[in-house]
Amino acid sequence: MSRAVTRIAREEWRLMLRDRVAVLGLALLTVLTLVASLTAWESRRAADAERARYQAQANQEFEAQPDRHPHRMVHYGHFVFRPLNPLAAFDAGIDVYTGHTLFLEGHRQNSANFGDVRQSSLLLRFGQLTPAFVLQVLAPLLLVFLGHASLARERESGTLRILLAQGVRPGQIVRGKLLALAGAAALALLPAALALVWMGALSQPLRSAALLAGHALWLLLWALAVVGLSALFARRRDALLCLLALWTVTVILVPRLAADTAAYAHGLPTRLESDIAVARDLAAMGDSHNPDDPYFAGFRQKVLAQYGVARVEDLPVNYKGLLGMEGERMTSELFNRYAADSFDQQGRQSAWMDRAGLISPLLALRRLSMATAGTDLASYRRFLEQGEHYRYTLIQSLNRLQAQKIRYADDRNPTRQNRVDRTHWHDIAHFQYLPATPAAVLQSVLPAAATLLAWLAALLALLAFSARRLGRSTR
Amino acid sequence: MMRWLAHEWRLVCRSRLCLWALVLLCLLSAVSLVSGAREMARQQAHIARLAALHERDVQAVASRFAKGGDAGYAAYYTFYDTQDPPSSAAFLALGLRDVAPYVLRVRALGLQAQLYEGETFNPELALAGRFDFAFVLIYLAPLFIIALLHDLVSGERQSGRLRMLLAMPGAGTRLWLRRAGLRTALAIASLALPLLAAAAVLPIGMAALAGALAVVVVYAVFWGTVCVLVAVRPWSSTAHATALMGCWVVLTLVLPTLAQMAITRNIPVGQGVDLMLAQRQNVHDAWDQPRDATMQRFFKTHPEWKDTAALPVQFHWKWYYAFQQLGDESVASEVSAYRSGLALRQHWTERLGWLLPGVAAQGALHGLARSDLPAQLRYQERIVAFHREMREFYYPYVFNERPFGPEDFARRPRFSAVELAPSLPLAPLVAMLVWVLCLGGLCARALKRVQASA
Repeated sequence: MSRAVTRIAREEWRLMLRDRVAVLGLALLTVLTLVASLTAWESRRAADAERARYQAQANQEFEAQPDRHPHRMVHYGHFVFRPLNPLAAFDAGIDVYTGHTLFLEGHRQNSANFGDVRQSSLLLRFGQLTPAFVLQVLAPLLLVFLGHASLARERESGTLRILLAQGVRPGQIVRGKLLALAGAAALALLPAALALVWMGALSQPLRSAALLAGHALWLLLWALAVVGLSALFARRRDALLCLLALWTVTVILVPRLAADTAAYAHGLPTRLESDIAVARDLAAMGDSHNPDDPYFAGFRQKVLAQYGVARVEDLPVNYKGLLGMEGERMTSELFNRYAADSFDQQGRQSAWMDRAGLISPLLALRRLSMATAGTDLASYRRFLEQGEHYRYTLIQSLNRLQAQKIRYADDRNPTRQNRVDRTHWHDIAHFQYLPATPAAVLQSVLPAAATLLAWLAALLALLAFSARRLGRSTR
Repeated sequence: MMRWLAHEWRLVCRSRLCLWALVLLCLLSAVSLVSGAREMARQQAHIARLAALHERDVQAVASRFAKGGDAGYAAYYTFYDTQDPPSSAAFLALGLRDVAPYVLRVRALGLQAQLYEGETFNPELALAGRFDFAFVLIYLAPLFIIALLHDLVSGERQSGRLRMLLAMPGAGTRLWLRRAGLRTALAIASLALPLLAAAAVLPIGMAALAGALAVVVVYAVFWGTVCVLVAVRPWSSTAHATALMGCWVVLTLVLPTLAQMAITRNIPVGQGVDLMLAQRQNVHDAWDQPRDATMQRFFKTHPEWKDTAALPVQFHWKWYYAFQQLGDESVASEVSAYRSGLALRQHWTERLGWLLPGVAAQGALHGLARSDLPAQLRYQERIVAFHREMREFYYPYVFNERPFGPEDFARRPRFSAVELAPSLPLAPLVAMLVWVLCLGGLCARALKRVQASA
């Protein structure tokens, strides 16, 4: 970097330091980032500890059940709680909008409940104070205030002409101003970066690095836009109004419009509708309670042939347990199909939002940030699918217990031995949520990163264009 | 009067920024109303379509009892649909309607295990928020008013006209009031005209319309007074814009999120999960307890069934429904703690409205639209009442072992959805008015001291 560039940047910094508003703004942003980091960290820790406590309670209650008929345990069910990634303190993403308590039982797929959004007043819709909120929403505004005048001021007061007359090239001036604003951006990023190191650099270095890089790129985009547009305007007021309008459109308006159009373009069926559809499809397949039902008659024949006996009473296993397993397999397949359809449709909505990232890079940054913090739709889906897998395994192992440990003749007779020993409840493994690997997460955010880089290229082009105009206009 | 109005109007027309801002605000508010109305029409169509679907589902169950049967089975297998149709003003503010179910099926089993079931929605869309009129009013309208008013004085100063204006007879406070008043009024008109057009097409009641218009006017005037207060400072227009934008960020982005965090931390509502865990535990424990003891506990709160026949040796539905209901009753204290926790969160939000006009406006519009937390709680209350009705319908059959035939099934209770009347936002309006009056007084004082030199 030439000396002229650094001298211009130093001069700009000196000016910023003398500007009380600029210093106050930066100080406020720093304080806000620190407050956000501390409180978000604390509430994430509290929420995660509470969910872990509930999970331990649910595990303990499950294991403390007395000797029971396994089908009673199928209805007793189990609870699993969605754990929170430590980086959720940096970007809470969809956490408050999704339930964290999932009740698992036989024959049904329940929703995850008790999300904060339904447990709070509408105040929640103003947003959550996290370091990501400060960096994504407020920091660009600070850069606009700090930098809108950087070139418009020089032009307005005529100093630009003098600089150019002294032989400083327009490119050098623009680069110097950019360096100064990027320095301010780095300063704004610093507390959040420290918070990030504290939150997850040790446990999740790759994800933390990606988060930091994404937000650094985001602030760089704004520094470029601010300097580039400041060079195009003859008056600082016009530059400011234009940049504020740009901020409003990018940060406030487009995400909402994108969400609204996405919801309309890819409508979701209600839960009730899917439930009815599952019941209808299931009835069409067969009725396990009806002895003459063709599907289940065929199933019985198959089982009898497999064991080489003529009557279900002669089977070495309890036919009711086998029937339960078959029924559960059928309902789960249906539930999974409808759940996958719904998630795919939600995926299309989210992809629509991602495409709107070409209009507002904030959406691309959010994708990158939420995915790496483990607080996006994909990780929620991951939790629900793992929960469902756990449910299916649990229910089928209980059905298997019924098939193997309880005789067909005793199954419904309370006076006979139709309970299994409670020690079996201890054999069920605890639910363990497996987050996506960092490599898979980073791969999934490549399109978002590419969108941000495309914006970088576009804004670099804007800057080059501005530099050329700067040279021409004062000639 | 008409002369100065025409004059000021000419000035507005001559400023491209002003004109474009007004047209854009009008357009955005129209789009938001169309979008909200479209979403409400979609929800209404869903409710109508689901009613038919659900009826077919119920008929499939009913066919099993065509020749009469045990009411216990019918109660176990029959789902009942409940609806929370959007109010006629719901298109103004979608509120919680995008994340909470507006249709829910329940059956005669323990209600506390069914009541908190969620809806399928994309949380990423909910995070971004919806583009409704409340959003345009609370977030965007202040920005437009700032754009229109920030250079009220500094614009004249920078163009060199200020000294002349101040020297003119009849100028001074009245001039600025006229100018700021007209521009604020134009911003209000840009918001209100699409709203009135929507009211002409959609059946929003007079009360809701008047309430919404009042919120629009008072909230816009509040921002008008803030702008005037800042604009009379002897700064450059850039400094005015910066300061006003700072006010907007603090009032609509920073303070509400800080307050939300404080409320969430200080009013925990973990009782929801607690009651769910406890209810399931209590219900399933019944299978391992002496059945007669369970019945005795049930008769204590429901003596009307005390004299029915004793339990047979084998399974009987009346025992089953008794322990289901006991399960609900065993968590009554958790339920009321949970509900009062939610109500307390709402209460503190309403109190916050006295400090933050944006929060007051949000509460007011969503109260009119009945899409806020209290409306959700009301829907749950109605489901609870309906569930009681449903139990009371089945119990005579189950406890007296009366046969249950198709005619009986046809007499089953139905959930009747009622539309809640808009809750008129008196407190938030008063809160905003107090702000307007205080700031207006300060404006009047400050306007007298406008000076020509910066």
